[in-house]
Amino acid sequence: MNTDELEQLLAQQPVALLHRLARGRVHRHFRAGKRRLIELLLQHSIHNRAGLESDLQTLIGERHSRSEAGSSPVHRSPTIAHKKASPRGADPDSTETAVSLSAWLEGLGVPSPQPFVPDPWQSEALSALNETDVVISVPTGSGKTYVAVEAAHRAMEDNRSVIYTSPLKALSNTKYTEFCRIFGPEKVGILTGDRQENGQAPLLIMTTEILRNLLYDAASGEIDIRLDTLGLVILDESQYLADPERGVVWEETIIFCPSQARLLLLSASIGNPQDIADWLTSIRSTACRLVRHSKRTVPLRAGYLHPNGKLTPLFRTLGIPYGHPNQLHPEAKRLFLEYEEETLPAGRPRR
Amino acid sequence: MPPSIHPVDLVTALRHKHLTPAIVFLTSRRACDEAMETFDHADLVLPPARQEAIAVALERITVQHPSIAEHPLIPIVKRIGVAAHHAGHLPSWKIAIEELMRQGHLDAVFATTTLAAGVDFPARTVVITQSSIRKSRDFTDLTIGEIQQIAGRAGRRGKDHVGFAIVTPSPYIDLTVLTKGLTGQPEGIDSQFTISYPMVLNLLKAHPHEQIQGILAKSFAQFQLNQRAELLEQKLDALHVQMEPFGPRVCTDWITQWHTFDHARRHRHTRHHTHRSESPEIVARLPFLTPGRVVGLSRGHGIVLRQYRSKGQKNSMLTVLRPDNAVTECPVTSVKEVYDRTYDCAETSTYPWCSTEAFDRLSHQLEDLPPRLPVLPILVSPGTESLPDAIVQSLGDFPCPTCPSRPACQKDFITASRLRQEQQRHTKSIQALRTSLWHRFQERVDVLQKFGYLTTATQLTADGEWARLIRIDHSLLITELIRAEAFAGADPSLLAGILASLAHDDDRPGAFPRISPGLSSLLGQVRKLAESLSPYEDPPLLRADVAALVERWIADPSLTWIGLCRLTTMAEGDIYRLLARTLEFLSQVQALKSTHPGLAESASQAITLIRRGVLEELP
Repeated sequence: MNTDELEQLLAQQPVALLHRLARGRVHRHFRAGKRRLIELLLQHSIHNRAGLESDLQTLIGERHSRSEAGSSPVHRSPTIAHKKASPRGADPDSTETAVSLSAWLEGLGVPSPQPFVPDPWQSEALSALNETDVVISVPTGSGKTYVAVEAAHRAMEDNRSVIYTSPLKALSNTKYTEFCRIFGPEKVGILTGDRQENGQAPLLIMTTEILRNLLYDAASGEIDIRLDTLGLVILDESQYLADPERGVVWEETIIFCPSQARLLLLSASIGNPQDIADWLTSIRSTACRLVRHSKRTVPLRAGYLHPNGKLTPLFRTLGIPYGHPNQLHPEAKRLFLEYEEETLPAGRPRR
Repeated sequence: MPPSIHPVDLVTALRHKHLTPAIVFLTSRRACDEAMETFDHADLVLPPARQEAIAVALERITVQHPSIAEHPLIPIVKRIGVAAHHAGHLPSWKIAIEELMRQGHLDAVFATTTLAAGVDFPARTVVITQSSIRKSRDFTDLTIGEIQQIAGRAGRRGKDHVGFAIVTPSPYIDLTVLTKGLTGQPEGIDSQFTISYPMVLNLLKAHPHEQIQGILAKSFAQFQLNQRAELLEQKLDALHVQMEPFGPRVCTDWITQWHTFDHARRHRHTRHHTHRSESPEIVARLPFLTPGRVVGLSRGHGIVLRQYRSKGQKNSMLTVLRPDNAVTECPVTSVKEVYDRTYDCAETSTYPWCSTEAFDRLSHQLEDLPPRLPVLPILVSPGTESLPDAIVQSLGDFPCPTCPSRPACQKDFITASRLRQEQQRHTKSIQALRTSLWHRFQERVDVLQKFGYLTTATQLTADGEWARLIRIDHSLLITELIRAEAFAGADPSLLAGILASLAHDDDRPGAFPRISPGLSSLLGQVRKLAESLSPYEDPPLLRADVAALVERWIADPSLTWIGLCRLTTMAEGDIYRLLARTLEFLSQVQALKSTHPGLAESASQAITLIRRGVLEELP
């Protein structure tokens, strides 16, 4: 539908429908007469043509179904023959500024299975781990586990033992099952507050508290785990360092980690991974290497679902416009304003 | 329009756009449960083949975790392919849901945000319905990191080309928080380093006292404190540059010099005005001329209503009630005699300076006074000639009045002194930043010495040797309880009950079983001790109801899990967590085998008794 057609269509509609259409789109629309209203709606359509058109179609559909139900079909001839072109001359290209729903939903589906190739950052982390401690800060779901598994594998090939810690017992159990499948149950052990299995295995999974306690016991001479052959300590979910109650345990663990063992800190995206790396550099014998990236393996798109079931993209762009929180999709913006208007008690501003 | 989308419509819409499987994050456990209820009569059933697949998968999980077999949500899970997953559920249920999700059997899971930080649990779509979460009674906005954790669950590696994060509004949602969270950089993390008593004991066990400062300096806390100190040092350098034009002048420390001079000058000035000359006799009287005092004036008696100082008057002034209800103002010098008699006088701050009743009463009393009254003996201290102020006297010694740089000093003083104050403030805070951890450590050491866990030479005492093995919250309270032999002869259920009340830190209310008298009296002792320790350690909540629940579970081995759940309104998952945490505490007590064999035995019995039913089934 081009601008002229849209104008024609608008002109054919009763003014009440135009007012409903203009709600949330045109400021003080109730002041405008029909001709002015059409002009304003066309101006608005520069920003979001798709939304306007779809809403117009719904309203027309509603009106037809209502008039049919009332069994008194009302035919209204166009009251105003609109000859003047709209003043701004809506450029069809400008509708492309905001992504359309169909484009946004495109590409859904299951990718065909592909041979696993490690990402560059994964290889970088692994090669760095040969020489130094490594801090990894990448988004959720990027494949940190691959690095952990591969690093553990290499250390065990060197006849050095590996400790893997996670903050939660549930996570430890999941990892235990997973590592048993990868390395074989005879090579993996688990130590949590209430579970101890295969405590002499070369790869031990434990909660961070247990490792901290082990390190304290080792420091005071009551050794019961071979810390001298320890080659690698993997701390998963290291962002727990900032946990108000348990964060201190991660610090103690890192401070007392034997110097001959490499440290591998796996963390979700955090704001200051460089600080963590600098800190490790300052207290450990070798300079720590930071591996970070913020690009997600599976790209993310954001949407807005209105309570009436209408779905639109949340942002103008297809992906997430990092660093530009105000690039809202005009349709999402309009729907949300409408939502706020209807749900908030009158006269009470948002906090 | 409904305030938020109906769960059935939500799932329908997601299915329609092929956006399933999805995780729907809701505000509370209750919201999740209510969302599940709406599916009771919903007709968006799955095709039979998928229902079959779910049933088979569930069967397989049930073999491993029998406790989920009777779960009330199973029919909905099987029929519609949606489930709830939150901390109120048993871990086995959560494992089952995670497994179903991983195998791709479910279309939607309603979860609380705790899931975001938990297990590996991805989906094609996440639905965000809130911009804030409840954190200890208050609602706080989600941080950028939290929003990205939530959004991070969208898009399964190898199973999806793209992931979707869909915002759907609910009342009081703030869209800007979410858009900022989705597009922003996550916040930096800050150290939460705290020095606990067991940490001190363990450090001192392994390292001599003088090495500890070096160890504390290796913490991330100190690293971040140093960063802040360095920032301040940069500011200090900048201040140094700014201070350069205000360097030494005629005198090296001209700022202090000028400050003293200026102060003295002003001081002399003000003293001049307020200088009063009152004879020693008068001065001695002043403290006795209080409201209600009967005094003799040149003619007749009067009662003092107030004493005050007036700017225009050389002497202190009195307001006096005279006969015939006359109120007069007169200087203290006009008082001829001070009598040994006072009356009650309710003072007020406005005329006539006492309440009306008091005024009437006083005027009556004044009229009834006998003509002769005993005179109050007042000791007059020998007139100490008030020495002229030393500083005022030495004003002539200041070189400033005749100094050539006086105008410059006068002009620059305000800027220079402000800069110098800032300099001093920064220097102090830098020092505090560099040494605060060490000071906190020393504080802990002092307390431990006071209680006898450490010798004065910071060696571990016999008590310290075993106390360092208790590495849990409220460790000081627990070790003190053990030393006070509070658990002597206590059976396993009492011990576990007490430890449960220490381990439980949630203040969710609810209905619980009755507490036994034995546990109740023991808990009273614990509470008393906790209060006496409160200057050194935050007292725990010590919930008797929670303790009673754990006691019941251990004391009655025939009690089934279902039976336990029926005793209380606490959610299954919470009971499980309570017992698991109690187990953790018990296993620490169990470690004291060599020094407290009886106690350790009791703890290990409690552990065996706790581990049955659901708790045994889970790893």
